[in-house]
Amino acid sequence: MTVTTRALSGALAAVVGADRIHEDEAGLATAAIDGVTPRWLAAPATPEQVAQLLALAHEERLAVVPRGSGTALEQGGPPRRLDLVLDLRRLQAVVEHNPDDLTISVQAGMTAGTLAARLAPHRQTLPLDPPGWSTRTLGGIAATQASGPLRMRYGTMRDLLLGVRFVQADGVLTWGGARVVKSVTGYDVPKLMVGALGTLGVLVELTLRLHPVADVESSSLVMFRSAAAAQEMVALLLDSAVQPSRLEILNDRTLTACGLPVAAAALAVSIATVEPAVRAQEAALTTLVARVGGRLEPLGGSFWHLYDRTLAAAGGVTLRIGTVPSRLAVTLAETRNAFGDAAVSGCAGLGALRARVDASDATALAGGIERLRGVVADGDGGVVIERGPRALRTAIDPWGPVPAPALTVMRAIKHAFDPTGVLNPGRFVDGL
Amino acid sequence: MALSGTVLTELARILGADGVFTSREARLTYEADMHTLYKGEPDAVVLPRSTEQVRDVVRLCRRERIPIVPRGSGTGLIGGAMAPRGGVMVSMTRMTEMLEIDLANRSATVQPGVINLWLTDAVRDRGYFFAPDPSSQMVSSIGGNVSTNAGGPHCLKYGITTNHVLGLEFVTGAGDVLRVGGKAADRPGYDLPGAMVGAEGTFGLVTAVTVRLLHLPEAVKTALAAFASVVDASEAVSAIIAAGIVPAALEMLDEAMVGAINAAVGKVYPDGAGAVLLIELDGPRAEVEAQGERIAAICRQRQALFVTVARDELERALLWKGRKEAAGAIGRIASAYLLQDAVVPRSKLPQIMKEMIALGRRYNVVIANVFHAGDGNLHPMICYDDRNADEFARAQEANEALLRACIALGGSVTGEHGVGMDKAKNLPLQYADADLNFMYRLRRVFDPDGLMNPAKLLPSHPACGEGFRPTRPTLPDGAWV
Repeated sequence: MTVTTRALSGALAAVVGADRIHEDEAGLATAAIDGVTPRWLAAPATPEQVAQLLALAHEERLAVVPRGSGTALEQGGPPRRLDLVLDLRRLQAVVEHNPDDLTISVQAGMTAGTLAARLAPHRQTLPLDPPGWSTRTLGGIAATQASGPLRMRYGTMRDLLLGVRFVQADGVLTWGGARVVKSVTGYDVPKLMVGALGTLGVLVELTLRLHPVADVESSSLVMFRSAAAAQEMVALLLDSAVQPSRLEILNDRTLTACGLPVAAAALAVSIATVEPAVRAQEAALTTLVARVGGRLEPLGGSFWHLYDRTLAAAGGVTLRIGTVPSRLAVTLAETRNAFGDAAVSGCAGLGALRARVDASDATALAGGIERLRGVVADGDGGVVIERGPRALRTAIDPWGPVPAPALTVMRAIKHAFDPTGVLNPGRFVDGL
Repeated sequence: MALSGTVLTELARILGADGVFTSREARLTYEADMHTLYKGEPDAVVLPRSTEQVRDVVRLCRRERIPIVPRGSGTGLIGGAMAPRGGVMVSMTRMTEMLEIDLANRSATVQPGVINLWLTDAVRDRGYFFAPDPSSQMVSSIGGNVSTNAGGPHCLKYGITTNHVLGLEFVTGAGDVLRVGGKAADRPGYDLPGAMVGAEGTFGLVTAVTVRLLHLPEAVKTALAAFASVVDASEAVSAIIAAGIVPAALEMLDEAMVGAINAAVGKVYPDGAGAVLLIELDGPRAEVEAQGERIAAICRQRQALFVTVARDELERALLWKGRKEAAGAIGRIASAYLLQDAVVPRSKLPQIMKEMIALGRRYNVVIANVFHAGDGNLHPMICYDDRNADEFARAQEANEALLRACIALGGSVTGEHGVGMDKAKNLPLQYADADLNFMYRLRRVFDPDGLMNPAKLLPSHPACGEGFRPTRPTLPDGAWV
């Protein structure tokens, strides 16, 4: 059944209220993605409203893009079609907080900053800190599998998401996982939804594993004459009893951007636990630094805030580089070779790096990405455009290659849950 | 249904004559895992040595519409590695190569038949270990751990198997070989390793696993605290977690269990205690010392009868000895038992333990408890005499009632053992039709013909997936103009 735009507007408004549907030019312009303007922008207030909107959209084959804070809208391919943007930021409720269980269930439109404020009095935290985390929605962080320095110790959303409520393409509200910290009942549906960019369902509620806040956190900067020395230090640290909660590598451009003294490469290390253990591990760190020949300086408590702001700063192109700790130095060098100039940083202990490069000529950048992909593929890694202008993301596949047999299965999964391709069409790997 | 001569010939061609077993004795050996109430003989057992052999077996079975059941060491507790519909059982016990150990990147790649503990044994002297530690780790295989997403006492701190799997190679039900994930961080696309771990062989057969290795902690401290009752001990558990301490392991044993263990292996735990908590901390030495003192103080505040800390490795081993012998020791008080694996939110432990005592009385069965208290994962052993049909029936009723009570408190049907045949019927307690329907459809992506470990993990439903559609939301009045 196809109905007129006007009738559809009425139907959408009947779900969320007329003041929560925008179809005026000015309102819609703010919702455009990659220059593609939707026909409607809707701001549902409840999971049920999301379900009703998706049921309607599905009936009419409307292409739907869910969005949170909008941080990651410059990720993936440009939308192939776009009718309805769902702004999920009104989904703000705490569904259930069990401080004694270290778990919380919240709606997906809540920002990580709001959650942090809510948890602070309990001395608990959701240890997820992708760049700009405090203003990003939890649903967005889950959909993009975005991560930051704390993944060194706590993992990513993949490890912290216990349960998830989502709306399938046809409007069916669905739950996967559990509300407890340990469950293997049925398939691990939360894993499938993390990093799927909303292409299998629209996330509306997350049950999250929390961690206690450590008594004391102490951070240091260790500067080196070469990236090779920094890599050697990482190897020593990983092979020691020191348990850093963050272990970031910063190249010279990132150091400059953070207003730190310049070195070929540096490590920002934080140790968070009880006071005597922090002191003991600092001493162990100092010994290791002496072995490699680096220069160690304390970092003030505000450093991680500054680092976050620097990484989140608007403008430019951000690449996510997946590699391994034993290839840090070569990856840093090859990033420079590929782009001439790049601010590289990231989790050294896991080889999860980010490079920020100037958004200049898309063709030249695409060539650099191609080259870098060739190099990191030797170590089994890849390069994804985390943020970049449309011209770049059309000049080169923003996700990079996925091996054919796995891609076949991914296509089949997408087809099973969104056969008509209404959820975020065109943006995920292979244009799924 | 016996396999045709053609199929047997083809199997022998793929695997060699010493790779196919069809004798009655051989098939009986494989008719059950450790949940021996569920039995089903395969028509043939095959023992591949390579990924290619596994692939060719799957392709042959698919062509001939023969069910396929994977099996590791057969130590599962859920009726998983058994063949209710016959077919070909693929035993991974000959795929035991460690393909790569890469300590610089803290990872290892192994074939699925490698025994869990072998991996830690291979890297321990260089300072590393593989964290998932199911109680069966001396005999259970890593492929089996992956299939069930196994846990263990130390997953309180370190997470379960899925948190340690970086990549997989597996043969799908369609006969394709997939290599997904890997050592390098952040692969684009859907998280196929994440979906595959815990799928209990219903998506395919795991042929290689890349896991994360962790550095051994600098120090380990093990303490024992005895309490007058399980409720007191449960409150201490809640207080420890609420104090912001996540021990490596936090295990509880109740009075019945302590009695059985002491009778079986000598007096390792204090007689007469209503409950014993076994607490292990690991990490940097100073952290372990400080948290150990805090925990001891919490236990004393919560009326612990006494608290003792192991002074050396020998004493530590002694404290763990009883815990590790628990499953065997239960034989002292019962000829058979049902083992439950449900989970409650850990703050609900005092409540569920009261409930459990009441259920034991109501159904007149002995329930002995040894479980992972820190994450609320219960393992009550509901004892019965297998010659007494009435007692068995009561034990089953108590078991189901307990499971329902856990779910009512916001818990989960299974914490670490998995679903298998045993709990497939229980999934509707935790999931609505829509949730299950999502899982049915996911299964069919990997196993279009319904041949992979059939009758496991999901309840059978009348429409077998087709036409089974959950209710869609009702649109408000006026939605359709």
